[in-house]
Amino acid sequence: MEGNRIYRLTVGDRIFNFFNGLFFAAFTALCIFPIYYLFINTISENKLVTAGLINFFPRGVHLKNYVMMLKVKDMGYSLLTTTGRTVIGTVAMVLASALVGYLVTQQAMLGRKIIYRYIVITMYFNAGLLPWYLNMSMLGLTNNFWGYIIPAIVQPFNIILVKTYIESIPRELEESAFIDGAGYFTVFRRIIFPLCKPILATIAVFGAVGHWNSFIDSIILMSAKPTIYTLQHRLYIYLNTTSNLGKIVNSGGSLSADDIANLMSNRVIQLTVAMVTIVPILFVYPFMQRYFQKGIMMGAVKG
Amino acid sequence: MITVPKSETGGSAKALTAILRVFLVAVCLSAFIPAVNPARVSELISKNASLFTCAISYSAIGSEFVRALSMGWVSQSTLAVLYIGALVVGLVIALSAAAFCVSLGNLKMRRLSAKLALGAGLAGLAGTSLLLLSRGMMAGSPEPGRVQPVLPLGIGLFFALFALEILLSAGVWMTLPKPVEEERYEIAAKYRLFLMILPFLVLVTLFAYLPLWGWRYSFFDYRSGFDLSWDTFVGFKWFRYLFSNPATRKDIIRVLKNTFVMSGIGIATSWFPMAFAIFLTELRSNRSKRLVQTFTTIPNFISWVLVYSVAFAIFSTEGFLNWMLINLGVITEGTNYLNSGSHIWLKMWAWGTWKGLGWGAIIYIAAISGIDQQLYEAAMADGANRYRRMWHITVPGLMSTYFVMLLLSIANILSNGMDQYLVFYNPANRNTIQVLDLYVYHLGLSGQSSSNNIPLATLIGMLKSIISVTLLFSANKASKLLRGESIV
Repeated sequence: MEGNRIYRLTVGDRIFNFFNGLFFAAFTALCIFPIYYLFINTISENKLVTAGLINFFPRGVHLKNYVMMLKVKDMGYSLLTTTGRTVIGTVAMVLASALVGYLVTQQAMLGRKIIYRYIVITMYFNAGLLPWYLNMSMLGLTNNFWGYIIPAIVQPFNIILVKTYIESIPRELEESAFIDGAGYFTVFRRIIFPLCKPILATIAVFGAVGHWNSFIDSIILMSAKPTIYTLQHRLYIYLNTTSNLGKIVNSGGSLSADDIANLMSNRVIQLTVAMVTIVPILFVYPFMQRYFQKGIMMGAVKG
Repeated sequence: MITVPKSETGGSAKALTAILRVFLVAVCLSAFIPAVNPARVSELISKNASLFTCAISYSAIGSEFVRALSMGWVSQSTLAVLYIGALVVGLVIALSAAAFCVSLGNLKMRRLSAKLALGAGLAGLAGTSLLLLSRGMMAGSPEPGRVQPVLPLGIGLFFALFALEILLSAGVWMTLPKPVEEERYEIAAKYRLFLMILPFLVLVTLFAYLPLWGWRYSFFDYRSGFDLSWDTFVGFKWFRYLFSNPATRKDIIRVLKNTFVMSGIGIATSWFPMAFAIFLTELRSNRSKRLVQTFTTIPNFISWVLVYSVAFAIFSTEGFLNWMLINLGVITEGTNYLNSGSHIWLKMWAWGTWKGLGWGAIIYIAAISGIDQQLYEAAMADGANRYRRMWHITVPGLMSTYFVMLLLSIANILSNGMDQYLVFYNPANRNTIQVLDLYVYHLGLSGQSSSNNIPLATLIGMLKSIISVTLLFSANKASKLLRGESIV
């Protein structure tokens, strides 16, 4: 504990501190090194990478791999799909959570309690993989971009978080607006929504990461439409390809012989795609950190 | 506020309006039932497509006729008439939904609703006529045997529905009194709020409740690409099959063993995040605490595919581990460790821990900061050393959080998810990595559709869901009994 300086450190304390520090240093390294390793292997000279000789420091730094991977048609489609679903899906989910979270706090609503339970109880059961698939197929959402978005709009857990948050806002704010003649939607848009921004930022962060990372839905639902495979799905396919990936890269026929010679190894391609997929997460991570601690705590005390 | 004079409504008008409302809901719902799809004018259109599907996506109709169209068995205009018909009926359904919503308002609104419903009924008759026309055009095709025109049950049904809608709405319109001049269009607050949340209730119903209806597949001999019909109803055949077929039984036992062992290791080590948090707070500098926390939570935010690519980078033949072992002289030739099938349970646990330990600790770190500092000071004054303080103050302070986590993981014992196991899966480790969720996927969805057993996979998923819910509510009950607090 801090602030206990009045006590002298004993030998036992010193030994404890040493090993404690050592453990956390080791575990932290274990978490970070693989990602660092991935990164240096995508920017080093490809021959050395293919031979497995880049281990601690990059050698012959260049960014050609990235430039070339982004030229690949499949990668372009996947990037577009993943970015699209992340943006549209997150915005739709956040707006829906805010509105529903607000509506279920309104005592005047017909059947409010039943409606709230009807939504929340869906967190605790699911029909299973096959019924889900058959249902999506029946609704025409297989091999369809909207199959990523529409089912993920209503998220009961996020609705609970928003509802709990709104209940902590003084009711007088709403009531004075009602007296001034504002309708429910106006109160929501002008008063509740702006006040909810912190909690909405939290659920947006989690929603965006969830959309960016999901691949099971792409694998199961979209198999017949490769143009809307997500980036993660694309990476999964590349990781499981044993034939020469260089061909895929040059499918557009836009590469010079020099480029191809530089980018023939499967390993280089696989690691580069992995890095393209991981970078956006690392990029938003510092912003996320502010919010997720709050989020997990609110989840723990949910009502 | 100005009080707007209200118009009185007679009893018969009220009753008629109520009937009209129920009727409009029925019209809307029938658009989602594939069995009464009025647009299914040819055997080529899937029996599983509802009117809704046909109306919103041209491909639901068009894709079935690609061959027929190119061979000239069916003309472009026939399809156009069919699609426009489906679209019109679809729009009429939407209009009926609007009429339902409007009918919840005051007298003026209800009169508007009756007008909308009347219009919808008339347009609906026109739409169904178009569908009937396209059916006639199909019958006139040069190769009727190839196009297989049928007269769908739905056409008759929707014809009747729309005719009734016209009669009912006309009845409502005539019985409702004329509204008072100054009355405005208005819906009472309780209905207005209900209407605002209604779209979301529809979404919840479609994506959380409707799939439960898919459980019926476990009572049929269903094959993908074919239609569900009463001829293929087999009752409890798959239930018996699950227990009596030796190969399946063997698979299930193996898969359950994997599931229980991997969940078991997880539960046995579920105190790790707590220990991680406790020792982390013992670090002396705040900066290193923050640093450790920042970096150890990153793996939680990357997907399992990315975890696999990290594993691939490190453990494959050209990876870091092989390089190190060769340089140390331990081995002479690299191998791909990911293709090995040994110690899979432990390896999977290790990856889970790598990904989740730092994240799992956050909740405990927050709980530790909530423990009263005076307790530590008092203990120190009494001469308790560091270990005693950790054991007698911090650990008891975290026990209630730990208990909730433990109960939840016990309730989730059957659901390890499939992401992790799917990405690490390969032929060498298939026997030990296949958990229940992955098995259901392999059984029902992967591979050729002819080798998939959808009913059996549905059945196993169904049993799993029922057991999981039961476990969760038992855990909740246990928590209530032991701590007087519920966890769900």
